[in-house]
Amino acid sequence: MRRCFFLKKMVLMLAMGALAAGTGRGAFAAPASVSGIQEYKQNISTQEYEKRYNAVYGKFTGQMAEQGNPADFMLDDGKDLFKKVEGTTGKSCASCHGENGEKLKGVAAGYPKYDPAIKGINTMALQINRCRKENMGAPELKYESYDQLALELYVKSLSNGVPIKVSIDGPARPFYEAGKAYYYMRQGQLNMSCAICHVKYAGHMIRANLLSNNRHHADHWPGYRLKWGKTGSLQKRFRGCNKKVRAKPLPFQCDTYRDLELYLTYQANGLPVAVPGFRM
Amino acid sequence: MRTSKKTVFLAVGLTLAIFVLPVAVLAGGNAENGKKVVDTKKLGNCAACHVVPGMEFPGDVGPNLIEAMKNYSEADREMLRQRISDERKFNPDTIMPPFGTNKILTGQQIDDVVEYLLSLNKKK
Ligand code: HEC
Ligand code: HEC
Repeated sequence: MRRCFFLKKMVLMLAMGALAAGTGRGAFAAPASVSGIQEYKQNISTQEYEKRYNAVYGKFTGQMAEQGNPADFMLDDGKDLFKKVEGTTGKSCASCHGENGEKLKGVAAGYPKYDPAIKGINTMALQINRCRKENMGAPELKYESYDQLALELYVKSLSNGVPIKVSIDGPARPFYEAGKAYYYMRQGQLNMSCAICHVKYAGHMIRANLLSNNRHHADHWPGYRLKWGKTGSLQKRFRGCNKKVRAKPLPFQCDTYRDLELYLTYQANGLPVAVPGFRM
Repeated sequence: MRTSKKTVFLAVGLTLAIFVLPVAVLAGGNAENGKKVVDTKKLGNCAACHVVPGMEFPGDVGPNLIEAMKNYSEADREMLRQRISDERKFNPDTIMPPFGTNKILTGQQIDDVVEYLLSLNKKK
């Protein structure tokens, strides 16, 4: 399982900060504990955010809607890949999940989720590779490669319109807390956290960009992004924002990013799955 | 009369050398360089969050600096330097990057920025 050796260190640091604060010797104002992070109140309502989004980007989104989403082609390719027999067992995804993925309808709305087999958070991207390896005897696909994204897109599209419903109960809880801790951790030379931009200052303009409300972050990826000129995953977005504050981006699907994906997807609970997304 | 003119020049020159130059060196700022630092994306990138003169698409995360500077005078030089160096001293949960502490800007560049910001009050 991919680890970034980051989580443990971070949880340790936070725990030490809590200890130091607890004994009154805290040298820095770290959050009290992993679970005791003071969350910001979301600065802007979803409706108000959408209004501002249209005001700022309306001209472009209109054009985008007309021209259609380039990621639709990738989705079609994903459908073909789903039926393609690969690996030593002579199977395709469709062999187990139905010719048109019938058995996977609605499933993606519950992802990511805790999985005892990996003692951690399972994402759709990870699950696709686990199926290939364990059930098909096929090579794992490189994260962010065309085929990998195409399959993820197709499987998620089988849940389009289904309200997101991820669980953070029981064994998932510590991973959710770790995701939250990462979301609130200051990082990079610019010393910013995800939360400060997407919660505390959401709805503000940072140069020509409208800072988005994090409620909608996890419902529409993979998606096409004009600035990339291609389709990418939610975790590619994580890496982009890491780099923006001059922090070190983490490897795709490492444990910390999967915890973060759980945290963000939980924020989107109740919203319909809507892939592929289309963003500036 | 020629000598006295020379003397005046010399006196002025000396006065400049002794008093003005060291002050300039101590204050250390160059407003023109400061403007470059403020406007350069890889350096200050201040317009990402603040309204500053002449930049298109400024952000609105922080206060308008043209307005805010009206509350600052020559006497606040050190305070300004500290805010840019590390705003956390004034607001522990600020979003503003600690330009000095995290070595995003050098001490000289921060002095230049301070000089530039103070100069905003002078030109009208
Ligand atoms: C310097 C401010 C800043 C920080 C810090 C930051 N982001 Fe962003 N983020 C942006 C901007 C600007 C965009 C593009 C406009 C938008 O959608 O908000 C963006 C976009 C995103 C998107 C895509 C939104 C969409 O519509 O799909 C996601 C997801 C995201 N960020 C997650 C994160 C995460 C996770 C972190 C921390 C690792 C983070 N961001 C840190 C500024 C920031
Ligand atoms: C990511 C956002 C961000 C960037 C980049 C940024 N600032 Fe700020 N700045 C703020 C915010 C927000 C405040 C309001 C006070 C606070 O949050 O502590 C502020 C406050 C200030 C103040 C005090 C204003 C007052 O009302 O007294 C000055 C001066 C200032 N910034 C200068 C700069 C300069 C110069 C740069 C670039 C070298 C810069 N800032 C870059 C966000 C930013």
